[in-house]
Amino acid sequence: TARALGYSPASLAPCRIMPVRWTRYNPSYLEPEVKKESHQKPLEELTEEEREQMELKAVRPIKAAPPSLSSSVFSDPMISKFTNMMMKSGNKVLARSLMSQTLEAIKRKQLEKYHKAPENEKETIECNPYVIFHQALKNCQPIIGLSNITRGGKTYQVPVPLTDNRKRFLAMKWLITECRENKHRRTLMPEKLSQELLLAFNNEGPVIKRKHVLHKMAEANRAYAHFRWW
Amino acid sequence: MAAPAYPAWVTRWVSGQWRNKKRPPTLRPPRTLALADKVANRREQSTEATCITEMSVMMACWKQNDFNDAPCAEEIRTFYDCVAKAEKERKNQNEDTLSSRGNLPSSKVNKLLKRFPQITRYV
Repeated sequence: TARALGYSPASLAPCRIMPVRWTRYNPSYLEPEVKKESHQKPLEELTEEEREQMELKAVRPIKAAPPSLSSSVFSDPMISKFTNMMMKSGNKVLARSLMSQTLEAIKRKQLEKYHKAPENEKETIECNPYVIFHQALKNCQPIIGLSNITRGGKTYQVPVPLTDNRKRFLAMKWLITECRENKHRRTLMPEKLSQELLLAFNNEGPVIKRKHVLHKMAEANRAYAHFRWW
Repeated sequence: MAAPAYPAWVTRWVSGQWRNKKRPPTLRPPRTLALADKVANRREQSTEATCITEMSVMMACWKQNDFNDAPCAEEIRTFYDCVAKAEKERKNQNEDTLSSRGNLPSSKVNKLLKRFPQITRYV
């Protein structure tokens, strides 16, 4: 049928140049493996499952790698996800440059602190912006969330465990909204973001406060935890 | 004294509704007297909430330490373990077998009944 081929019916889209939204790979297609280390491993080191996986890849077709997936050492999936969330109206160039300027700003600030610090404290100062970014995100992730459950006509806020994806998403979303809304008109995004990331790295700042507020509300509503059914 | 309550047949007899053999219809079923091929949609009895004890332990720890995560790392770890285990349990449980209360969900029952429908007419 037309739907299986991935083409839209002619009545809906008379002149379509862009790829169709509903194109979907056959379930037999496998994900591409991008990391160089996994391809350079000698045969003896592979475990049983990895050998089976290799044999499967020899017979099955493989999906095309999306342009955002790269095998470079500098690419980081969390950073890419954050950049995508910062992007507005598809302006990936701008979002990516903002991200790199943020990382540069973090590095500059940390180096300044490093050179001013006395000898014994120099080791405690973290200069790697990627480490700071990851640790800050980890500190911002909420542990428990609230969900609306209706019982007997009334909606209650019930504390609920969150999945990893949801935690990551909430942390990134809070960071970005905080940086977009609560800044001075003249401060630029990299400046403000680097500030927020450094604060979150030290477990301070408005994003951490927002996480604590969520935790407090969950703690206050812990009596309703039995309304959950999963 | 209020009007005495007579049984229904007495009022009918007195009113003359059943003279002239005007009896009520013996039987007029609105639908065929056969079992339908579906059951009513019943709200499944829900399972209990999981990991409540770990959550309350973690929250007690939070209250003591002013909601910092560093001192409560152990409790948070146990909570995450419990959540992961419960998630795996949920994924592994098979809904085709009977649930814990011994009932199949109504959707599964309807699917089975549709495969083996009631024969209403013979050819």
